[in-house]
Amino acid sequence: MCFKTLPVEFDERGNAVLRGGIPNPYDVTVAKPDVDLSEEERRERIESLVARNGHIKDLNMDPVTRIAGALAVHVTADLDKRAYLDSHAQATLFRGYEVILMGRDPRDAIFVASRACGVCGGVHAHAAAYAIEQAMGIAPPPLGTVVRNMTEAAEMGYDNPLHLYLLAGPDYSESVIRSSNPELWPLAERWSCPNEHIHGFKTMSDLMTALNPLTGALYREGLEFTRLSREMVVILTGKYPHPQNVVPGGVSTTVTLQTLNEYHSRLGKIFDYAQRMMAVWDDIPAFFYEADDRYQFVGYRPTTQIDPGYWDDPYAYDATYENCNEWGEKRWSTPGVVIDGELVTTRLTDINIGWEEFVEHSYYEESSTTRFAQDMLGNPLSPYHPWNKRTLPKPGGRDWKDKYTWACAPRWDRKVVEAGCYSRLLMTAMAQKIPDSDFITATGTSMRLLVPKGEVGEREVEWHAPARWNALERNRGRAYHYLFSQLVGLESLLEAYKLMKQGEKRVAALDPSALEKAIPQDERVSVGWWGAGRGWLTHHLVMDKGKITNYQICTPSTINASPRDPWGQPGPYEEAVMNTPIIEDVSDPSRFTSIDMLRAIRSFDPCMPCTTHVHTGEGEVVREVNTCSCGGD
Amino acid sequence: MADRSTRSPVRNPRTPAQELLDELGPVTQFHDTTHLGAFGMPSGAMTEDMLSSVATAGTPTRFGPLEKVHAFWFAGMSCDGCSVAVTGATLPSVESLLLGAHPGLPRVVLHHPVINMESGPYYLQPAEQAMAGRLDAPYVVILEGSIADEVVANASGGYWSSTGEEPWGPDGDLRPVTSTEWVARLAPNAAAMIAIGTCATWGGVPSAEGNPTGAMSLMDFLGKDYRSVLGVPVVNVPGCPPIGDNFTETVAAVLYFLQGFGPLPEFDELGRPAWLFGETVHRHCVRGAYYEEGQFAKDFGDPECLVEIGCWGPVVNCNIASRGAIMSVGGCMNAGGACIGCTMPGFPDKFTPFYKRPPGSMASTVVSRMVGSVIRPLRKFSNNNMNREVRWDRQHATPSAFSREKSEPSALAHVNHKFYDALRRSGDTSRNDADVWGKRQDEAPSGGSPRTRA
Ligand code: SF4
Ligand code: SF4
Repeated sequence: MCFKTLPVEFDERGNAVLRGGIPNPYDVTVAKPDVDLSEEERRERIESLVARNGHIKDLNMDPVTRIAGALAVHVTADLDKRAYLDSHAQATLFRGYEVILMGRDPRDAIFVASRACGVCGGVHAHAAAYAIEQAMGIAPPPLGTVVRNMTEAAEMGYDNPLHLYLLAGPDYSESVIRSSNPELWPLAERWSCPNEHIHGFKTMSDLMTALNPLTGALYREGLEFTRLSREMVVILTGKYPHPQNVVPGGVSTTVTLQTLNEYHSRLGKIFDYAQRMMAVWDDIPAFFYEADDRYQFVGYRPTTQIDPGYWDDPYAYDATYENCNEWGEKRWSTPGVVIDGELVTTRLTDINIGWEEFVEHSYYEESSTTRFAQDMLGNPLSPYHPWNKRTLPKPGGRDWKDKYTWACAPRWDRKVVEAGCYSRLLMTAMAQKIPDSDFITATGTSMRLLVPKGEVGEREVEWHAPARWNALERNRGRAYHYLFSQLVGLESLLEAYKLMKQGEKRVAALDPSALEKAIPQDERVSVGWWGAGRGWLTHHLVMDKGKITNYQICTPSTINASPRDPWGQPGPYEEAVMNTPIIEDVSDPSRFTSIDMLRAIRSFDPCMPCTTHVHTGEGEVVREVNTCSCGGD
Repeated sequence: MADRSTRSPVRNPRTPAQELLDELGPVTQFHDTTHLGAFGMPSGAMTEDMLSSVATAGTPTRFGPLEKVHAFWFAGMSCDGCSVAVTGATLPSVESLLLGAHPGLPRVVLHHPVINMESGPYYLQPAEQAMAGRLDAPYVVILEGSIADEVVANASGGYWSSTGEEPWGPDGDLRPVTSTEWVARLAPNAAAMIAIGTCATWGGVPSAEGNPTGAMSLMDFLGKDYRSVLGVPVVNVPGCPPIGDNFTETVAAVLYFLQGFGPLPEFDELGRPAWLFGETVHRHCVRGAYYEEGQFAKDFGDPECLVEIGCWGPVVNCNIASRGAIMSVGGCMNAGGACIGCTMPGFPDKFTPFYKRPPGSMASTVVSRMVGSVIRPLRKFSNNNMNREVRWDRQHATPSAFSREKSEPSALAHVNHKFYDALRRSGDTSRNDADVWGKRQDEAPSGGSPRTRA
C-alpha cells in the first residue's frame, strides 16, 4: 500500500481504487499530509526571533551563479544561532515552449520540446518521443531503443562532470575555502587523501587547488571529459544539445560498425576517469565530515525521492501504458518512490496517479479540472494531475506569505519528494530488479559496480545509500551515477553489437509516410517517462484529431525548486537551505558569504531553463508555468 | 497579448528597445552593496581579479593594442544550449580566451552566470560600471535566447525574464531587472552586440507560432539603424544550437582584425559571418553524392540522401557538414539526421511538420533519379576497373580469397576498360618519346610491379 495521504487503495487484482465514502477525496482540506511546522508557526517563530535578535539578515541572492539558468534564493539568516530561518526559491525566467507545442502536429513535438532545455538537450527530445509513441501505439525496434540508451548514457557522461567540476566543484576549491572557511585550510594541508593512489593528490589542499575555477587541473579535466562524451553523443545524434536523430518510433541514426567503434573507443577512455572522479568525491565528504560534523546537515533532507526510471530494455519496452509496470521495472534504472527511507513502489502507474501539481503560492488562479477521472487502466486521477491541469496566471506582487513565485509545487501522495540522478542509484539499489549484468549489481542497500580495466586496473567499487542525504552525498552520488551511466552505455553497446551480428538494421518502427498515416484522429492521452541529468522527467500529452491539445512537462528542477504547497511544506531547495547550519566564519557578520546555502543549493544541480512552461486554453492566453519564478512584483 | 506587428520597427519609428527605455525611464543609481558585506562572494574576490595573475599577457603575445575586452553574456528566452555549445568549442576554446592563452588575442573577461564565482548583486557590478561608463576596457554584449517583449509583460505588472535586482523601482526600491532591459541599456556604448543562436539572431522557437511572450531577435529589438560604438551592426551567429566553434571563431576573427593582423571579417546581408554561412549545408554534405546519383533513404537510418525523409539541406545556410558539431565530430546528416533548418530565420515554422519531404525537392529528385540511373552504372563500371591492380589485369586473376565469388570481367568489360584507359591516358606525357636514360631499360613498365619470373 503505497499511498498514505491520498485516499487510494488497491483491490485484490492490484488495481487502484478510491476509498469509498469520502466526499471530495482530492480536496486539499480532505487529504492532508502530516506537517511538522505550519507556515504560520514558522513565520511567528521568525518574527519573534527578529524582534529579539539584531543578527538576523534578510537577503535575496539574485542571480545565483554556477547553476544552469536563472534562479534567485531569498534567505532569512540568523548569524547568531548560525541558522537559515527561512528560504524561498524563485526562478526568474519564463518562456513559452508548451504553448508553442499546443495546436501543432505531433511530429513537431520532438524537435520543439528539445528546445525546452539546452543543458541536457537530448532528454526532452527523448521524453517527447516516448509520449508520442505511447499515444500513437508505436514501439521502436530493439536497435532503436539501444541507440537511445547509448545516447542517453553518453549524455550523462557530459552532464555529471559538468556539474561536479564547473558548477559545484569551485565551492570546495582552494579559492573558496581560504576565503570562506579559513579554519579548514590548515587542516586540508595536513590531511592526506586516502585515495591518493587513484586520483594522485597527496593532501586535501592539493585536491582543493585542483578544483579552482578555470586554472585547476580537475576543473579543466572535467571540461575535457564533457567534450569527449559529447563527441559520443554527436556520433549518434549529429549534434548537441539538440539531437537531430530522434523520431517517433525510434531513431534515424545510420548505425554501422564504424559508428559503434567510434563510440566504443571513446567510452574506453572514460573508465579510468570515472575511477578518479569517484575517488575525489569520496575524499571530499570524508574530509568535511572529519573537519566538522555539522557538514552532515548542509543541504540535508529526509530520504524522500522519486524517479521514473531510465534506459529501457529493448525487448520489453512496447510503448504501451497498459504494460508500463512490466517494462518499467525492466529499465536499467528502476522506477521508484522512496518515502522516509522506505521504497514504497516501483510501479509507473503508482508514480503517475500519485502525481499532482499545486499553485497556492504561485502567480495563478486555481484551475484544476476533472477532465480525466481515471487513467487508461481505470486508476483514479486527481484533478491536480498534469492531464487535468489548466493553469491560469495572475501576475502580482511578491509576498512570501502568499504568492511569491511563478513556480508550482509538484507533490507525490502530497509529500515533498526530491529528484536527482543519484535517485537512480537509490531506487535501483533498493528495488534489486535491475537486469542481469556483469558490471552492475544491486544489493538492496548499495550498488556494486565493476570498472573495466583501462590503463588503471579493473576494480569493483560500491556505492552505499547514505544514512543522511546532504550536499556532499548528492555530489558523491553524482560521481557514482557517472560510472553507472557509462556502464549502461557499455551494456547497450554490447547489445548493439549483438543485434548487428544478428543482421538487425531497423532503427525505427515506421518510415515517414507510414508515420504520417499512423497519426490517430481520436483523443489520446499519454505520458513519456524519462530522465534528465538531474533525474525525473515527464512529458504528459493529450492529442485529439491528430493535433496536440495539451502538453505538460515536469522536470527535476521543477520538483526541486518548488515553493510551499497548500499545507505549507517547503520545496526541496527551501527545505534543504532551512536545514543547513551556517558553518562559515561569521565572527564578523559582514564576512557572511552564504557559502553553506550555496553548497546546499548547488548540490541539487539546479537547471532552470526547462522548469518554465506555459500553455493556452481556448481563445484566451492561459499560461502554465511550472517553476518559472520571477524574483518580485 | 499585445499585437506584435504594430510594434515592428518598420511601422513604428521607435524601436522596441527605445520603447522599453522610454517606458522605464532613465536610471542613475545602482545597487548599494555596503550592507551586503561578503554576501555572494565566497571566494572573496571577483572572478576577473582571481584570474588576473594568469590571464595577463604582454604586447608580443597579444600581437596588437587591445589588452582586455569585457564580454557580458545575457540570456533571454533561452535554453542555455548556446552556452553549452560554447563550452564545447576548441577553435579557440573558451578557457583559452578567458585565460589569455590564445596568442594574438586580448584577455577576454567573460561575465557569464555559469562561470562566475560571485553571485547576487556583485555579479552585476561590472554591468553597472559599463552602464556608468566606468569600466576599464571596451565591452561586447552577447545575447543568447530571444528578447522577450517586456513592454507586454510590464503592462500587466510582471515580466518574463530577469537577471538581478537594481534600485530602479519607485522611491529607489529594488526591482527585478529583465535581461531585455540590460541589453537595451548596454547596447549604445557596446563595442559590439553579438547574437548567438537562432533564438537571439532571428527569434527561433520562442517566437514560433503561438508564442505568448512576443519573443523577437536582437536585430528586431535594436532596429535596423543600430550601430555599436565601433560602427558595427548586430553580429549574428545562428544555429539551434549553434556550433560552439562558429561562435568562438567569429569572436576571434573580429579580435584578430582589431589587433591589426587579421583581415576584415566579412559579414553577409543578415550579419552572419560570411565565411561560415555562405554556403548551403548540402554542398558539403557527406550524403551529397547519393542525391546526385538519385538514391534516397526510404526508412529512418538508411545510409542514402535524407531529402525524402525530410532534409532541407539544399536550401539551408549551415556549415555543420564540414565543421562537425563538436571537436570536428558529428554533423546532422553525418549521423543520419535530416536538416530541419535550425540556423535559418524561417526556423521552425517554415520547416514544419518535420519528417516530411520538402515540396521543393520534387523536381530535383526526379531529375537526379533520371541522371543517376545513367551515371550510376557507368560509375560502377569504372569503379570495378579501379578495384583491379594493373598486374591482376595482366594475369586475369585477383589474388584475394575474398574475391572467390567475384567473377573476372567479361570480355566486353575488358575491352571497355582498355578503351577507358586509353581515354584516360590521352595527353599523358609519359608516352612522349624522350629517352629515359637514367635507368636500365628492361625494368618493369611504370605502374606495375616487377615482371613475374615465369
Ligand atoms: S542529406 Fe540533405 S544535405 Fe545531404 S545530400 Fe541529402 S538533401 Fe543534401
Ligand atoms: S544541418 Fe540543418 S539542422 Fe543541422 S545544424 Fe545545420 S541547419 Fe541545423
